[in-house]
Amino acid sequence: MTTTETGIKVADAGGIEDGEALVVDRDTTGHDDDIAVFHSDGAYYALDDTCSHGSASLADGWIEDGEVECPLHSARFCLRTGEPQCMPATLAARRHKVEERDGALYLFPGQEPAA
Amino acid sequence: MSTVDRVLIVGGGLAAVSLADALRSGGHTGDIVILSAEDHLPYDRPPLSKDVLLGRSGLEDIRLRPDEWYERVDFRTDARVASLDPDAGRVTLADGSEVTGDRIVLATGGVPRTPGGDPAVHVLRVWEDAERLRPRLVPGARVAVVGAGLIGAESAAVAAALGCEVTLIDPTEIPLLPVVGPEIATVLHARHAEAGIRCLNGGVESIERDGEFLRVAVTGLDEPVTADTVIAGIGIVPDTALAEAAGLTVDNGVVVDAGYRTSHPSVYAIGDVARRADEPRRHEHWDHARTSAERAAATLLGQDAPAQKAGWFWSDRHGSRLEGVGTMADAETRIVRGDAADGAFTVFGVAQGRLVAAAAIDRPRDIQAARRLVGRELPVDAAALADPATDLRKLLRARPVREER
Repeated sequence: MTTTETGIKVADAGGIEDGEALVVDRDTTGHDDDIAVFHSDGAYYALDDTCSHGSASLADGWIEDGEVECPLHSARFCLRTGEPQCMPATLAARRHKVEERDGALYLFPGQEPAA
Repeated sequence: MSTVDRVLIVGGGLAAVSLADALRSGGHTGDIVILSAEDHLPYDRPPLSKDVLLGRSGLEDIRLRPDEWYERVDFRTDARVASLDPDAGRVTLADGSEVTGDRIVLATGGVPRTPGGDPAVHVLRVWEDAERLRPRLVPGARVAVVGAGLIGAESAAVAAALGCEVTLIDPTEIPLLPVVGPEIATVLHARHAEAGIRCLNGGVESIERDGEFLRVAVTGLDEPVTADTVIAGIGIVPDTALAEAAGLTVDNGVVVDAGYRTSHPSVYAIGDVARRADEPRRHEHWDHARTSAERAAATLLGQDAPAQKAGWFWSDRHGSRLEGVGTMADAETRIVRGDAADGAFTVFGVAQGRLVAAAAIDRPRDIQAARRLVGRELPVDAAALADPATDLRKLLRARPVREER
Protein backbone atom coordinates (compact mmCIF):
# COMPACT_ATOMS: atom_id res chain seq x y z
CA MET A 1 0.00 0.00 0.00
CA THR A 2 1.30 3.49 -0.77
CA THR A 3 0.34 6.80 0.78
CA THR A 4 -1.51 7.59 -2.47
CA GLU A 5 -4.01 4.93 -1.39
CA THR A 6 -3.95 5.33 2.38
CA GLY A 7 -3.15 9.00 2.74
CA ILE A 8 -0.69 10.54 5.16
CA LYS A 9 -1.70 10.58 8.79
CA VAL A 10 -1.56 14.23 9.85
CA ALA A 11 -3.36 14.25 13.21
CA ASP A 12 -5.45 12.23 15.57
CA ALA A 13 -9.18 12.80 15.27
CA GLY A 14 -9.90 15.88 17.37
CA GLY A 15 -6.26 16.92 17.05
CA ILE A 16 -7.25 20.12 15.25
CA GLU A 17 -9.60 22.35 17.21
CA ASP A 18 -12.63 23.84 15.51
CA GLY A 19 -11.57 27.08 13.85
CA GLU A 20 -7.94 25.97 13.71
CA ALA A 21 -5.65 24.58 11.05
CA LEU A 22 -2.36 22.78 10.84
CA VAL A 23 0.30 22.95 8.17
CA VAL A 24 1.70 19.85 6.54
CA ASP A 25 5.15 20.58 5.18
CA ARG A 26 5.89 20.06 1.49
CA ASP A 27 8.83 17.85 2.47
CA THR A 28 6.35 15.46 4.06
CA THR A 29 3.89 15.43 1.17
CA GLY A 30 6.08 15.91 -1.89
CA HIS A 31 3.52 18.50 -3.05
CA ASP A 32 4.83 21.80 -4.44
CA ASP A 33 3.29 23.86 -1.62
CA ASP A 34 2.70 23.30 2.07
CA ILE A 35 -0.85 22.09 2.70
CA ALA A 36 -3.16 23.55 5.33
CA VAL A 37 -5.68 21.20 6.95
CA PHE A 38 -8.64 23.14 8.36
CA HIS A 39 -11.33 22.25 10.87
CA SER A 40 -14.51 24.28 10.50
CA ASP A 41 -17.84 23.37 12.11
CA GLY A 42 -17.03 19.68 12.46
CA ALA A 43 -15.69 19.16 8.94
CA TYR A 44 -12.12 18.94 7.68
CA TYR A 45 -10.73 20.50 4.52
CA ALA A 46 -7.29 20.86 2.94
CA LEU A 47 -6.02 23.59 0.64
CA ASP A 48 -2.64 24.77 -0.56
CA ASP A 49 -1.35 26.81 2.35
CA THR A 50 0.02 29.77 0.38
CA CYS A 51 -2.65 32.36 -0.46
CA SER A 52 -3.17 32.51 -4.23
CA HIS A 53 -2.92 36.30 -4.07
CA GLY A 54 0.16 36.88 -1.99
CA SER A 55 2.49 34.94 0.17
CA ALA A 56 0.66 34.46 3.46
CA SER A 57 -0.08 31.15 5.14
CA LEU A 58 -3.81 30.46 5.01
CA ALA A 59 -3.44 28.26 8.08
CA ASP A 60 -2.74 31.50 9.97
CA GLY A 61 -6.01 32.93 8.67
CA TRP A 62 -9.41 33.35 10.25
CA ILE A 63 -11.52 30.21 9.89
CA GLU A 64 -15.25 30.72 10.13
CA ASP A 65 -18.44 29.52 8.45
CA GLY A 66 -16.68 27.21 6.00
CA GLU A 67 -14.31 29.93 4.82
CA VAL A 68 -10.78 31.02 5.57
CA GLU A 69 -9.76 34.68 5.47
CA CYS A 70 -6.15 35.37 4.56
CA PRO A 71 -4.29 37.17 7.37
CA LEU A 72 -2.59 39.63 4.99
CA HIS A 73 -5.23 41.21 2.74
CA SER A 74 -8.41 39.48 3.89
CA ALA A 75 -9.08 37.55 0.70
CA ARG A 76 -11.57 34.81 1.63
CA PHE A 77 -11.63 31.28 0.24
CA CYS A 78 -14.38 28.69 0.43
CA LEU A 79 -12.86 25.72 2.26
CA ARG A 80 -14.98 23.22 0.34
CA THR A 81 -14.38 24.51 -3.20
CA GLY A 82 -11.20 26.56 -2.81
CA GLU A 83 -12.88 29.39 -4.74
CA PRO A 84 -12.00 32.97 -3.79
CA GLN A 85 -15.01 34.79 -2.28
CA CYS A 86 -13.75 38.34 -2.57
CA MET A 87 -10.86 40.48 -3.67
CA PRO A 88 -7.95 40.68 -3.87
CA ALA A 89 -7.63 36.96 -4.67
CA THR A 90 -8.74 35.88 -8.12
CA LEU A 91 -7.41 32.33 -8.34
CA ALA A 92 -8.84 29.33 -6.52
CA ALA A 93 -6.78 27.57 -3.88
CA ARG A 94 -5.95 23.97 -4.87
CA ARG A 95 -7.84 21.39 -2.84
CA HIS A 96 -6.76 18.09 -1.35
CA LYS A 97 -8.73 15.19 0.02
CA VAL A 98 -8.89 14.70 3.80
CA GLU A 99 -10.38 11.62 5.39
CA GLU A 100 -11.24 10.85 9.00
CA ARG A 101 -10.61 7.15 9.56
CA ASP A 102 -9.92 4.92 12.55
CA GLY A 103 -9.60 7.85 14.93
CA ALA A 104 -7.16 9.79 12.77
CA LEU A 105 -7.04 12.33 9.95
CA TYR A 106 -5.45 11.35 6.66
CA LEU A 107 -4.38 13.75 3.93
CA PHE A 108 -4.21 12.76 0.25
CA PRO A 109 -1.90 15.35 -1.33
CA GLY A 110 -2.78 16.22 -4.90
CA GLN A 111 -6.07 14.29 -4.84
CA GLU A 112 -9.21 16.40 -5.23
CA PRO A 113 -11.91 15.70 -2.67
CA ALA A 114 -15.16 14.16 -3.89
CA ALA A 115 -17.67 16.88 -4.86
CA MET B 1 -39.01 51.55 -6.46
CA SER B 2 -38.31 51.43 -10.17
CA THR B 3 -36.32 48.48 -11.43
CA VAL B 4 -32.65 48.99 -12.08
CA ASP B 5 -31.61 47.52 -15.43
CA ARG B 6 -28.49 49.38 -16.20
CA VAL B 7 -25.92 50.58 -13.69
CA LEU B 8 -23.34 53.06 -14.89
CA ILE B 9 -20.18 53.33 -12.78
CA VAL B 10 -17.83 56.28 -13.23
CA GLY B 11 -14.30 55.30 -12.20
CA GLY B 12 -12.28 52.12 -12.65
CA GLY B 13 -10.59 51.36 -9.34
CA LEU B 14 -11.26 48.88 -6.56
CA ALA B 15 -14.61 50.45 -5.60
CA ALA B 16 -15.95 50.17 -9.17
CA VAL B 17 -14.82 46.56 -9.57
CA SER B 18 -16.15 45.62 -6.13
CA LEU B 19 -19.52 47.15 -6.97
CA ALA B 20 -19.78 45.18 -10.21
CA ASP B 21 -18.92 42.00 -8.30
CA ALA B 22 -21.43 42.71 -5.55
CA LEU B 23 -24.19 43.51 -8.07
CA ARG B 24 -23.59 40.26 -9.95
CA SER B 25 -23.41 38.14 -6.81
CA GLY B 26 -26.56 39.89 -5.57
CA GLY B 27 -28.42 38.69 -8.67
CA HIS B 28 -28.28 41.74 -10.93
CA THR B 29 -28.64 40.51 -14.51
CA GLY B 30 -28.86 43.88 -16.24
CA ASP B 31 -26.03 45.84 -17.80
CA ILE B 32 -23.08 47.10 -15.84
CA VAL B 33 -21.06 49.77 -17.60
CA ILE B 34 -17.78 50.97 -16.08
CA LEU B 35 -16.14 54.11 -17.43
CA SER B 36 -12.49 54.34 -16.39
CA ALA B 37 -10.38 57.38 -17.20
CA GLU B 38 -7.26 55.24 -16.99
CA ASP B 39 -5.64 53.43 -19.93
CA HIS B 40 -5.30 50.21 -17.96
CA LEU B 41 -7.64 47.53 -16.76
CA PRO B 42 -8.21 47.84 -13.00
CA TYR B 43 -5.24 47.09 -10.79
CA ASP B 44 -4.59 47.03 -7.06
CA ARG B 45 -3.11 50.29 -5.82
CA PRO B 46 -1.54 49.36 -2.43
CA PRO B 47 1.41 47.52 -4.07
CA LEU B 48 2.37 50.72 -5.94
CA SER B 49 4.22 52.06 -2.89
CA LYS B 50 5.72 48.66 -2.04
CA ASP B 51 6.40 45.79 -4.47
CA VAL B 52 5.98 47.89 -7.60
CA LEU B 53 8.47 50.53 -6.43
CA LEU B 54 10.83 47.74 -5.39
CA GLY B 55 10.59 46.35 -8.92
CA ARG B 56 9.10 43.06 -7.69
CA SER B 57 5.66 43.43 -9.31
CA GLY B 58 4.54 44.63 -12.70
CA LEU B 59 1.13 45.78 -13.89
CA GLU B 60 0.10 42.23 -14.82
CA ASP B 61 0.90 41.02 -11.31
CA ILE B 62 -1.42 43.53 -9.65
CA ARG B 63 -4.42 43.27 -11.98
CA LEU B 64 -7.61 43.02 -9.96
CA ARG B 65 -9.52 40.71 -12.25
CA PRO B 66 -8.76 37.96 -14.78
CA ASP B 67 -9.73 38.29 -18.47
CA GLU B 68 -12.95 36.27 -18.10
CA TRP B 69 -14.32 38.84 -15.68
CA TYR B 70 -14.70 41.39 -18.47
CA GLU B 71 -17.28 39.21 -20.21
CA ARG B 72 -19.74 40.11 -17.47
CA VAL B 73 -19.28 43.88 -17.53
CA ASP B 74 -18.97 46.52 -20.21
CA PHE B 75 -15.63 47.96 -19.12
CA ARG B 76 -14.30 50.95 -21.06
CA THR B 77 -10.79 52.30 -20.56
CA ASP B 78 -9.69 55.82 -21.46
CA ALA B 79 -13.29 56.97 -20.97
CA ARG B 80 -13.07 60.37 -19.34
CA VAL B 81 -16.40 61.67 -18.12
CA ALA B 82 -16.78 65.41 -18.68
CA SER B 83 -20.23 66.00 -17.24
CA LEU B 84 -23.10 64.35 -15.43
CA ASP B 85 -26.84 64.97 -15.86
CA PRO B 86 -28.53 63.25 -12.91
CA ASP B 87 -32.12 63.93 -14.01
CA ALA B 88 -31.50 62.46 -17.45
CA GLY B 89 -29.38 59.58 -16.00
CA ARG B 90 -26.66 60.38 -18.44
CA VAL B 91 -22.98 61.26 -18.61
CA THR B 92 -21.12 62.94 -21.43
CA LEU B 93 -17.58 61.82 -22.17
CA ALA B 94 -14.67 64.06 -23.10
CA ASP B 95 -15.05 62.97 -26.72
CA GLY B 96 -18.68 64.17 -26.73
CA SER B 97 -20.32 60.73 -26.68
CA GLU B 98 -23.07 59.99 -24.16
CA VAL B 99 -23.69 56.99 -21.91
CA THR B 100 -26.87 56.41 -19.90
CA GLY B 101 -27.77 54.42 -16.81
CA ASP B 102 -30.83 53.91 -14.60
CA ARG B 103 -28.48 54.54 -11.72
CA ILE B 104 -25.13 56.28 -11.85
CA VAL B 105 -22.47 55.49 -9.28
CA LEU B 106 -19.56 57.87 -8.77
CA ALA B 107 -16.34 56.02 -7.90
CA THR B 108 -13.99 58.74 -9.03
CA GLY B 109 -11.59 58.48 -6.08
CA GLY B 110 -9.24 61.33 -5.39
CA VAL B 111 -6.34 63.32 -6.71
CA PRO B 112 -3.12 63.47 -4.70
CA ARG B 113 -2.17 66.83 -3.23
CA THR B 114 1.16 68.06 -4.49
CA PRO B 115 3.42 70.72 -3.00
CA GLY B 116 4.83 71.91 -6.31
CA GLY B 117 4.83 71.52 -10.06
CA ASP B 118 8.48 70.57 -10.58
CA PRO B 119 8.81 67.30 -12.52
CA ALA B 120 11.10 65.96 -9.78
CA VAL B 121 8.25 66.30 -7.27
CA HIS B 122 6.42 62.97 -7.36
CA VAL B 123 3.12 61.69 -6.03
CA LEU B 124 2.00 58.08 -5.83
CA ARG B 125 -1.54 57.23 -6.79
CA VAL B 126 -1.68 55.56 -10.21
CA TRP B 127 0.50 53.12 -12.12
CA GLU B 128 2.18 55.88 -14.15
CA ASP B 129 3.24 57.63 -10.93
CA ALA B 130 5.05 54.51 -9.75
CA GLU B 131 6.58 53.95 -13.19
CA ARG B 132 7.92 57.49 -13.25
CA LEU B 133 9.27 57.33 -9.71
CA ARG B 134 10.92 53.90 -9.78
CA PRO B 135 13.97 54.78 -11.93
CA ARG B 136 14.69 57.74 -9.64
CA LEU B 137 15.20 55.47 -6.62
CA VAL B 138 18.78 54.43 -7.26
CA PRO B 139 21.58 53.95 -4.71
CA GLY B 140 22.88 57.27 -3.45
CA ALA B 141 19.95 59.32 -4.78
CA ARG B 142 18.87 62.00 -2.32
CA VAL B 143 15.17 61.56 -1.73
CA ALA B 144 13.03 63.88 0.39
CA VAL B 145 9.68 62.45 1.39
CA VAL B 146 7.07 65.00 2.44
CA GLY B 147 4.47 63.50 4.76
CA ALA B 148 5.05 60.46 7.01
CA GLY B 149 1.57 58.95 6.78
CA LEU B 150 1.00 55.61 5.05
CA ILE B 151 2.20 56.41 1.52
CA GLY B 152 5.05 58.61 2.72
CA ALA B 153 6.31 56.08 5.27
CA GLU B 154 6.07 53.20 2.83
CA SER B 155 7.86 54.98 -0.01
CA ALA B 156 10.55 56.26 2.39
CA ALA B 157 11.12 52.68 3.57
CA VAL B 158 11.34 51.43 -0.03
CA ALA B 159 13.73 54.23 -1.03
CA ALA B 160 15.96 53.43 1.96
CA ALA B 161 15.91 49.73 1.09
CA LEU B 162 16.99 50.62 -2.44
CA GLY B 163 20.00 52.49 -1.09
CA CYS B 164 18.74 56.07 -1.38
CA GLU B 165 19.67 58.77 1.11
CA VAL B 166 16.23 59.50 2.55
CA THR B 167 14.89 62.45 4.52
CA LEU B 168 11.35 62.11 5.85
CA ILE B 169 9.58 65.36 6.71
CA ASP B 170 6.36 65.65 8.67
CA PRO B 171 4.82 68.50 10.67
CA THR B 172 3.84 66.16 13.52
CA GLU B 173 6.46 64.84 15.90
CA ILE B 174 5.07 61.31 15.84
CA PRO B 175 2.95 60.65 12.74
CA LEU B 176 -0.21 58.49 12.89
CA LEU B 177 -0.53 59.00 16.63
CA PRO B 178 -4.26 59.85 16.58
CA VAL B 179 -5.01 56.80 14.42
CA VAL B 180 -2.97 54.08 16.13
CA GLY B 181 -2.17 55.58 19.54
CA PRO B 182 1.19 56.57 21.07
CA GLU B 183 2.53 53.08 21.86
CA ILE B 184 2.46 51.87 18.27
CA ALA B 185 3.12 55.22 16.60
CA THR B 186 6.32 55.70 18.62
CA VAL B 187 7.73 52.26 17.78
CA LEU B 188 6.84 52.67 14.12
CA HIS B 189 8.36 56.09 13.76
CA ALA B 190 11.59 55.00 15.47
CA ARG B 191 12.05 52.33 12.81
CA HIS B 192 12.66 54.97 10.15
CA ALA B 193 15.75 56.24 11.98
CA GLU B 194 16.88 52.66 12.60
CA ALA B 195 16.75 52.14 8.83
CA GLY B 196 19.00 55.14 8.29
CA ILE B 197 16.27 57.61 7.36
CA ARG B 198 16.74 61.18 8.58
CA CYS B 199 13.46 62.30 10.17
CA LEU B 200 12.64 65.99 10.30
CA ASN B 201 9.80 67.46 12.30
CA GLY B 202 8.53 70.51 10.46
CA GLY B 203 6.36 71.87 7.70
CA VAL B 204 7.54 72.33 4.13
CA GLU B 205 7.69 76.04 3.32
CA SER B 206 8.88 75.83 -0.26
CA ILE B 207 10.42 73.53 -2.83
CA GLU B 208 12.73 75.31 -5.23
CA ARG B 209 14.90 74.13 -8.07
CA ASP B 210 18.59 74.85 -7.87
CA GLY B 211 20.16 73.57 -11.05
CA GLU B 212 20.24 69.77 -10.95
CA PHE B 213 18.48 69.38 -7.63
CA LEU B 214 15.69 70.68 -5.42
CA ARG B 215 15.92 72.63 -2.19
CA VAL B 216 13.18 71.83 0.30
CA ALA B 217 12.80 74.53 2.96
CA VAL B 218 11.53 73.13 6.24
CA THR B 219 10.21 75.25 9.13
CA GLY B 220 12.70 75.62 11.97
CA LEU B 221 15.58 74.38 9.83
CA ASP B 222 18.35 76.82 8.80
CA GLU B 223 19.53 74.89 5.77
CA PRO B 224 17.05 73.58 3.22
CA VAL B 225 17.09 69.84 2.45
CA THR B 226 18.83 69.08 -0.83
CA ALA B 227 17.09 66.42 -2.89
CA ASP B 228 17.27 64.87 -6.34
CA THR B 229 13.71 63.64 -5.95
CA VAL B 230 10.81 64.69 -3.75
CA ILE B 231 7.94 62.31 -2.96
CA ALA B 232 4.79 63.91 -1.59
CA GLY B 233 2.52 61.77 0.55
CA ILE B 234 0.27 64.50 1.86
CA GLY B 235 -3.13 63.06 1.16
CA ILE B 236 -5.71 63.31 -1.58
CA VAL B 237 -8.47 65.67 -2.56
CA PRO B 238 -11.68 63.78 -3.36
CA ASP B 239 -12.46 64.10 -7.04
CA THR B 240 -15.87 65.73 -6.70
CA ALA B 241 -15.79 67.89 -9.84
CA LEU B 242 -18.55 65.98 -11.67
CA ALA B 243 -20.80 65.90 -8.61
CA GLU B 244 -20.32 69.57 -7.87
CA ALA B 245 -21.03 70.67 -11.43
CA ALA B 246 -24.16 68.49 -11.39
CA GLY B 247 -25.43 70.23 -8.25
CA LEU B 248 -25.07 67.29 -5.84
CA THR B 249 -24.31 68.01 -2.18
CA VAL B 250 -20.55 68.05 -1.75
CA ASP B 251 -18.70 68.68 1.51
CA ASN B 252 -15.26 67.07 1.78
CA GLY B 253 -16.49 64.40 -0.62
CA VAL B 254 -19.79 63.60 -2.22
CA VAL B 255 -22.18 63.42 0.70
CA VAL B 256 -24.05 60.09 0.91
CA ASP B 257 -26.38 58.34 3.34
CA ALA B 258 -25.74 54.94 4.94
CA GLY B 259 -26.91 53.31 1.68
CA TYR B 260 -24.43 55.43 -0.35
CA ARG B 261 -27.16 57.51 -2.01
CA THR B 262 -26.19 61.08 -2.88
CA SER B 263 -28.56 64.04 -2.70
CA HIS B 264 -29.98 62.92 -6.08
CA PRO B 265 -32.05 59.71 -6.00
CA SER B 266 -30.45 58.26 -9.15
CA VAL B 267 -26.86 58.93 -8.20
CA TYR B 268 -24.69 57.05 -5.70
CA ALA B 269 -21.10 57.51 -4.60
CA ILE B 270 -18.62 54.95 -3.19
CA GLY B 271 -14.95 54.64 -2.25
CA ASP B 272 -12.60 57.53 -1.52
CA VAL B 273 -14.89 60.16 -3.07
CA ALA B 274 -17.90 59.37 -0.85
CA ARG B 275 -18.43 60.83 2.60
CA ARG B 276 -21.12 59.35 4.80
CA ALA B 277 -23.27 62.04 6.41
CA ASP B 278 -23.75 59.77 9.45
CA GLU B 279 -20.03 59.30 10.13
CA PRO B 280 -17.48 61.73 11.56
CA ARG B 281 -14.92 61.36 8.77
CA ARG B 282 -14.40 60.36 5.18
CA HIS B 283 -12.58 57.04 4.66
CA GLU B 284 -9.84 56.61 2.10
CA HIS B 285 -8.73 53.06 2.70
CA TRP B 286 -8.76 50.02 0.45
CA ASP B 287 -11.21 48.23 2.74
CA HIS B 288 -13.68 51.10 2.51
CA ALA B 289 -13.64 50.94 -1.30
CA ARG B 290 -14.75 47.32 -0.99
CA THR B 291 -17.26 47.63 1.85
CA SER B 292 -18.89 50.81 0.52
CA ALA B 293 -19.38 49.05 -2.81
CA GLU B 294 -21.01 46.07 -1.11
CA ARG B 295 -23.41 48.29 0.79
CA ALA B 296 -24.23 50.41 -2.26
CA ALA B 297 -24.98 47.24 -4.23
CA ALA B 298 -27.43 46.15 -1.53
CA THR B 299 -29.21 49.53 -1.75
CA LEU B 300 -29.33 49.36 -5.55
CA LEU B 301 -30.79 45.86 -5.46
CA GLY B 302 -33.21 46.62 -2.62
CA GLN B 303 -31.54 44.03 -0.38
CA ASP B 304 -30.43 44.11 3.25
CA ALA B 305 -27.04 45.71 3.66
CA PRO B 306 -24.20 43.51 4.93
CA ALA B 307 -23.26 44.09 8.58
CA GLN B 308 -21.28 47.25 9.12
CA LYS B 309 -17.70 46.48 10.11
CA ALA B 310 -15.17 48.91 11.54
CA GLY B 311 -12.78 50.37 8.98
CA TRP B 312 -9.51 48.50 8.55
CA PHE B 313 -6.20 49.48 6.99
CA TRP B 314 -2.68 48.17 6.73
CA SER B 315 0.73 49.53 5.88
CA ASP B 316 4.00 47.70 5.20
CA ARG B 317 7.32 49.29 6.03
CA HIS B 318 10.80 48.11 7.06
CA GLY B 319 9.67 44.49 6.96
CA SER B 320 6.86 45.07 9.47
CA ARG B 321 3.15 45.28 9.02
CA LEU B 322 1.03 47.89 10.71
CA GLU B 323 -2.71 47.30 10.84
CA GLY B 324 -5.45 49.40 12.33
CA VAL B 325 -9.16 49.02 12.97
CA GLY B 326 -11.19 52.14 13.71
CA THR B 327 -9.44 55.22 15.09
CA MET B 328 -7.55 55.18 18.40
CA ALA B 329 -8.47 58.82 19.07
CA ASP B 330 -12.01 57.54 19.73
CA ALA B 331 -10.76 55.49 22.70
CA GLU B 332 -10.93 56.59 26.34
CA THR B 333 -8.52 53.91 27.53
CA ARG B 334 -6.01 51.66 25.80
CA ILE B 335 -5.04 48.07 26.54
CA VAL B 336 -1.67 46.73 25.38
CA ARG B 337 -1.50 43.07 24.41
CA GLY B 338 1.98 41.63 24.15
CA ASP B 339 5.26 43.41 24.74
CA ALA B 340 6.31 46.48 22.76
CA ALA B 341 9.94 45.43 23.31
CA ASP B 342 9.33 42.35 21.13
CA GLY B 343 8.33 44.59 18.25
CA ALA B 344 5.09 42.70 17.63
CA PHE B 345 2.18 43.84 19.80
CA THR B 346 -1.39 45.04 19.75
CA VAL B 347 -3.20 47.95 21.34
CA PHE B 348 -6.96 47.88 21.89
CA GLY B 349 -8.95 51.08 22.38
CA VAL B 350 -11.99 51.08 24.65
CA ALA B 351 -14.70 53.70 25.10
CA GLN B 352 -17.82 53.34 27.23
CA GLY B 353 -17.11 49.69 27.90
CA ARG B 354 -16.89 48.78 24.22
CA LEU B 355 -13.99 48.08 21.91
CA VAL B 356 -13.75 51.02 19.46
CA ALA B 357 -10.32 50.61 17.89
CA ALA B 358 -7.28 48.38 17.59
CA ALA B 359 -3.83 48.71 16.11
CA ALA B 360 -1.05 46.18 15.81
CA ILE B 361 2.43 45.59 14.53
CA ASP B 362 2.86 42.10 13.05
CA ARG B 363 -0.15 40.60 14.88
CA PRO B 364 -2.54 39.77 12.01
CA ARG B 365 -4.64 37.34 14.05
CA ASP B 366 -5.36 39.99 16.69
CA ILE B 367 -6.52 42.33 13.96
CA GLN B 368 -8.71 39.70 12.34
CA ALA B 369 -10.39 39.32 15.71
CA ALA B 370 -10.55 43.06 16.29
CA ARG B 371 -12.29 43.61 12.94
CA ARG B 372 -15.06 41.39 14.26
CA LEU B 373 -15.03 42.73 17.83
CA VAL B 374 -14.90 46.49 17.25
CA GLY B 375 -18.30 48.13 17.20
CA ARG B 376 -20.10 45.11 18.63
CA GLU B 377 -22.03 45.24 21.86
CA LEU B 378 -19.69 42.91 23.68
CA PRO B 379 -18.40 43.34 27.22
CA VAL B 380 -14.73 44.26 27.22
CA ASP B 381 -12.64 42.14 29.56
CA ALA B 382 -9.44 44.19 29.86
CA ALA B 383 -7.43 41.43 31.52
CA ALA B 384 -8.40 38.90 28.86
CA LEU B 385 -7.54 41.30 26.03
CA ALA B 386 -4.17 42.10 27.56
CA ASP B 387 -3.21 38.44 27.97
CA PRO B 388 -1.56 37.13 24.78
CA ALA B 389 -2.66 33.63 25.79
CA THR B 390 -6.36 34.53 25.44
CA ASP B 391 -7.96 33.13 22.32
CA LEU B 392 -9.73 36.22 21.00
CA ARG B 393 -12.20 34.10 19.08
CA LYS B 394 -13.62 32.92 22.39
CA LEU B 395 -14.37 36.55 23.27
CA LEU B 396 -16.43 36.79 20.09
CA ARG B 397 -18.67 34.04 21.41
CA ALA B 398 -19.34 36.03 24.58
CA ARG B 399 -22.84 37.29 25.22
CA PRO B 400 -23.81 40.76 24.05
CA VAL B 401 -23.97 43.54 26.65
CA ARG B 402 -27.52 44.16 25.61
CA GLU B 403 -29.75 42.31 23.22
CA GLU B 404 -29.34 43.49 19.64
CA ARG B 405 -32.66 44.14 17.93
